[in-house]
Amino acid sequence: MIIVITSVIKSLVLILLLLTGFAYLTYYERKLLSRFQVRIGPNRAGPRGLLQPVADAVKAIFKEEVVPDHVDKVVYLLAPALSLIPALVAFAVVPLAPDLTIGNFTLRFHIADVNIALLYILAITSVGTYGIILGGWSSNNNYSLLGALRTASQMISYELPMGIILVAIILTTNIGRETGTLSLVEIVNQDRPWWLWLWLWLAFPMFFITMLAESNRSPFDLPETENELIAGFQIEYGGIKFALYFMAEYISMITGSAIMATLFFGGWHGPFATPGTWYGPIVGFGWLVLKIIVLLFLYIWVRASMPRIRYDQLLQFCWKILTPLSIAYLILTAIIVALAAP
Amino acid sequence: MSDAIAETTGLPYADAVPGAVVDADEYGIVVNRDKLVEFALHLRNNEGFDYLSSLTAVDYLGFEGRTPEDRFEVVYHLFSTKKGGDGIVLKVRLPENDPQLPSLTLVYPGADLQEREVYDFYGIVFNGHRRLRRIFLWDGFNGYPMRKDWKEAYYEEEHKPYKSRWPKGHYQWAEDRVPWGDNIKYPEGWDPDTFVPPEPPLPIIHEPPADAGHIKTDRIVVNMGPQHPSTHGVFRMIVALDGETIVGLEPECGYLHRNHEKIGERNTWLGNIPFTDRLDYLSSMSNNFGYVLAVEKLMGDRGKPPERAEYLRVIMAELTRICNHMWSVGFLLNDLGAFFTPALYTIEERELILDLFEAVAGSRMMCNYMRFGGVARDVDEEWLQRCRDIVFNRLEKKIDELETYLTNNEILLTRCVGVGYLSPEDAIALSACGPMLRASGVPYDVRRARPYSIYDRFDFNVVTDDGCDVYARYKVRIGEMRESVKILKQALDQIPEGPIMNGKPAYVTRVQKGEAYGAVEGPKGELGFYVVSDGSDNPWRYHIRAPSYINLNTLEPMTIGYKVADSVVILGAIDIVLGETDR
Repeated sequence: MIIVITSVIKSLVLILLLLTGFAYLTYYERKLLSRFQVRIGPNRAGPRGLLQPVADAVKAIFKEEVVPDHVDKVVYLLAPALSLIPALVAFAVVPLAPDLTIGNFTLRFHIADVNIALLYILAITSVGTYGIILGGWSSNNNYSLLGALRTASQMISYELPMGIILVAIILTTNIGRETGTLSLVEIVNQDRPWWLWLWLWLAFPMFFITMLAESNRSPFDLPETENELIAGFQIEYGGIKFALYFMAEYISMITGSAIMATLFFGGWHGPFATPGTWYGPIVGFGWLVLKIIVLLFLYIWVRASMPRIRYDQLLQFCWKILTPLSIAYLILTAIIVALAAP
Repeated sequence: MSDAIAETTGLPYADAVPGAVVDADEYGIVVNRDKLVEFALHLRNNEGFDYLSSLTAVDYLGFEGRTPEDRFEVVYHLFSTKKGGDGIVLKVRLPENDPQLPSLTLVYPGADLQEREVYDFYGIVFNGHRRLRRIFLWDGFNGYPMRKDWKEAYYEEEHKPYKSRWPKGHYQWAEDRVPWGDNIKYPEGWDPDTFVPPEPPLPIIHEPPADAGHIKTDRIVVNMGPQHPSTHGVFRMIVALDGETIVGLEPECGYLHRNHEKIGERNTWLGNIPFTDRLDYLSSMSNNFGYVLAVEKLMGDRGKPPERAEYLRVIMAELTRICNHMWSVGFLLNDLGAFFTPALYTIEERELILDLFEAVAGSRMMCNYMRFGGVARDVDEEWLQRCRDIVFNRLEKKIDELETYLTNNEILLTRCVGVGYLSPEDAIALSACGPMLRASGVPYDVRRARPYSIYDRFDFNVVTDDGCDVYARYKVRIGEMRESVKILKQALDQIPEGPIMNGKPAYVTRVQKGEAYGAVEGPKGELGFYVVSDGSDNPWRYHIRAPSYINLNTLEPMTIGYKVADSVVILGAIDIVLGETDR
C-alpha cells in the first residue's frame, strides 16, 4: 500500500518538477541565446524577466483552440499528448538522489527501479516518435507530411547508434562483477575504475549527437526546420496543442540530459552527496541538477552556433559515420571488458 | 538608308543581316521585327554581344513625332561580357493594332522574365515564349497599366505636382473631383461575386531520365510562400517534389507590386529620387546613384557633379555594398538553419554604417541623398573621422572574424559546396548579374566594364570564383566586401574639399529630350535605369533594370534536381529584395 502512495506522490512531484523545469528551461534558453547573439533577452516580465515563462504559459493556454477542418480530428488531438507523455514517463527510471533512510523506512528517489531501465528508455522514446509522425500525418498538410516523413527516418536511423552505444555501456557494467545490469539505479551505484570513465567519455560526443537527433534539436531539427518547412509537423497546431509539442521537446531534452548525466557523469554522485546521511539526498539532487544544466547548456550552445545540415546529409552522417563508429566502439569495449575480466 | 545608319551608329554590323536594320536614331538601331531573332543571333555569335542586360518597352502614344504605326517600342540593351565597354541598343517599333514580335528567349534565355513583364504591362505579345502569362498582376487584371491611355483607380492628373487636394483648406476625395470617379473598371462579363480565381499555375516538371529501376511515384506540389520565413519577403515558389527532390519550380512574384514605374512617370524627375530608395530598401544609396547617373546623362553640363560629390557618392555606394553583403551573408546562414547568431553579428556592422547614413542623410534606410549634379548634404570632418574609424580599424577585422567562423565551417561546406550549380555560359545567357555572375567565374563588373563616376581612379579587383555554387557566391560576397573596404580607404584618403553641388539646388530639373540608360554595379548586380524624356518636368518612361528580379531567371535552372532544403539556400544566395523584384 505504502509503495503505491509513495509512488503516486513521487510521480506528482516529478511531473511538477519537470513542468517547472520545462518552463524555466525556455527562459534559460532564451537568455543564453540572447547572450550568444549579443542581445539582452527577455527582461520585461518580472525581475530580470523571470516571469516570462508564466506569461508564455498564460498566453498559450488562453489562445483560441482552433482545429482546422481538413485534419483527422481524433489523431490530430491525440498526437501532442502522445508526444509529451513518453518524454515525461522516461524520467521514471532515473535515480535523482541517494536513498534516505528514516528509521525503518527507506525513501528512494526514483519512481521505478526497473531492471531493464535502458531498454525501457529506448522503447519509450520510440513511442514519442509516433506523436510527431501522427501529428504530421493527421494535419493533412504538405509541409507537415514532409516533416513527419523526415521524423520517421531520422528517429529510426539515430536510434541505431544510440542503442549500440548503450549496449557498450551495458557491457562495461560487467567489469569486476559476475553479471552486468540494465538498471540505471545500479549503474549509478557501481564504482568504475578511472580508465573506464575515460573510455566512456570517449563515447559521450557520439551519444550526445544521437540525443540531439532524438530530441529534434538543432542542428537535427529537420522535422520542424523553420527555414524550409516553416514549422514542419506542428504547422497546423496552435495554442496549448503547440505548447504540448514544445513541452515534449524540452522535457525530452531534460530527460536526455538526465540520462546522459547518469550514464556518463555519475548521476547524483559528487562531493558531499554521501548516501546514508541526512544531507546526502539534497546535495545529490543538487549535483544531478547541476549536471543537467551544464548538459542543457551544450544543447543550447549548439543551437546558437550551428547551421543545420540537410536531410539526406543527416542520414548519410548517421549511416556512414556514426553507426560504423559506434560499432567499432562496441567491439573495442567488448575486448576491453574481456581483458579486464578476472 | 544604310549609309545613314553607318554614320549615326558607326557600327559595322548594321548590314550583316540584310533587311534587319530599318532605321537608327542617336540612341539605338531600329530593327525589323521579322529579322529580330536572326539579327540578335548574329550579334550574339559573331559580334560578342552575349549579355542581354535590359529589355523593356515604351509607349509613345501622343509623343511628338510618333504615329499609331510606331506607338510601341521594345528596347533591348545588349552588352558584351568579354569586351566590356558600351553596348548596343536594339529597338523594335510596333504598331498599335498589332503589338507582337518574336520572343528572344531562345537567343537570350534571360529575356524570359523581362518579356513576361513587358507583356504584363504593355500587352505586347512575344511569340514563342514558353509561358507568357502575367507575372506581377493577377490573371483577372483588366488592361495593361503601363500604356499611356490606362488610368489607374483614383486617377487624378497625368503629372505631378497635382493641383491642391485641399482647396480652401477642405479635403476632397479624388473620386468626387475627377470625372472618372474611382475609375474601377471590370472587364466585360466579369462579376466579382461569381468569379473563381484561376488555379495556381503548376510548374513545368522536369522528369528525371527514365532509367531501369526508377520507380514511378507521385509528385507533390508544395507552395513555398508568400507567407514563408525564407523567401525574404512575399515571394512564392511553387515547387513540385519527388520525395524531397525538386523536379519543378515556378517563381511567382508581384505580391509587393505597386507599379513603381507608372508612379515614376507621374512624378517629377526630382521626386523620383526618394522613390528609388524604396526599390531595394537595403541599399538605397546605390539606387539613388543609378537614377541620378541616368538622368545626368540627359542634363548636359549641369549634370556634371563636382569632385567632392563624386567621392561622396562612391563612399556611400561602397558603404552600401558592405551593408548589403553583410546582411546577405548573415541571412544566408539563417537560411542554412543557423539560429540568427551569424545574422545578428553581421547586422552589428550594418548598424554602424546606417548610423553614418543617418548622420549625413537624416535617415537610416531611405536615404534620399543624391541629387542631379551632386549630393544633398555635405559631410563634416567629424563624420569623415567616424567613417575612417570604421573603415580602417573595424571592418576588415570583422570580415576576418566572419571568415574564421564561417568559411571553413564543416556544415556550411556540406550545405553549400556544389549546391545551385550555374555554369558560366548559363549565367551569361540567363542575364545573371552581380555576385551571381562573378561567382560563376565571369569577371563582369559594371564598375570595370563601363566605368562610371570616378571608379576608374581606384585600384580594386573584380572578385570572381570558379565554384559556380552557393559557396562561391558566399565567397564572392566576402571578397567584394574586402574590395569595397579597399576602395573606401582610397576614397577617404583622396576626398577633396569643394562644393558638393553643381549650381544651385533646384526643384525643377531641366532635362533634354532623349533617352539614357544609366547603370551602376549595385550590391545585387547591374542596377540600370532607362529613362526617356520628352523635355518636360516628368519622365516619359522610367524603367528599372532590377538586378534581383532578373537574377530570378536563374532560380529554376539552379534548383531543379536539388533537395527542398537547398531551394531556400539557393534563393538566399541570389539575394533578392522584394521591393525591387516586384516594383
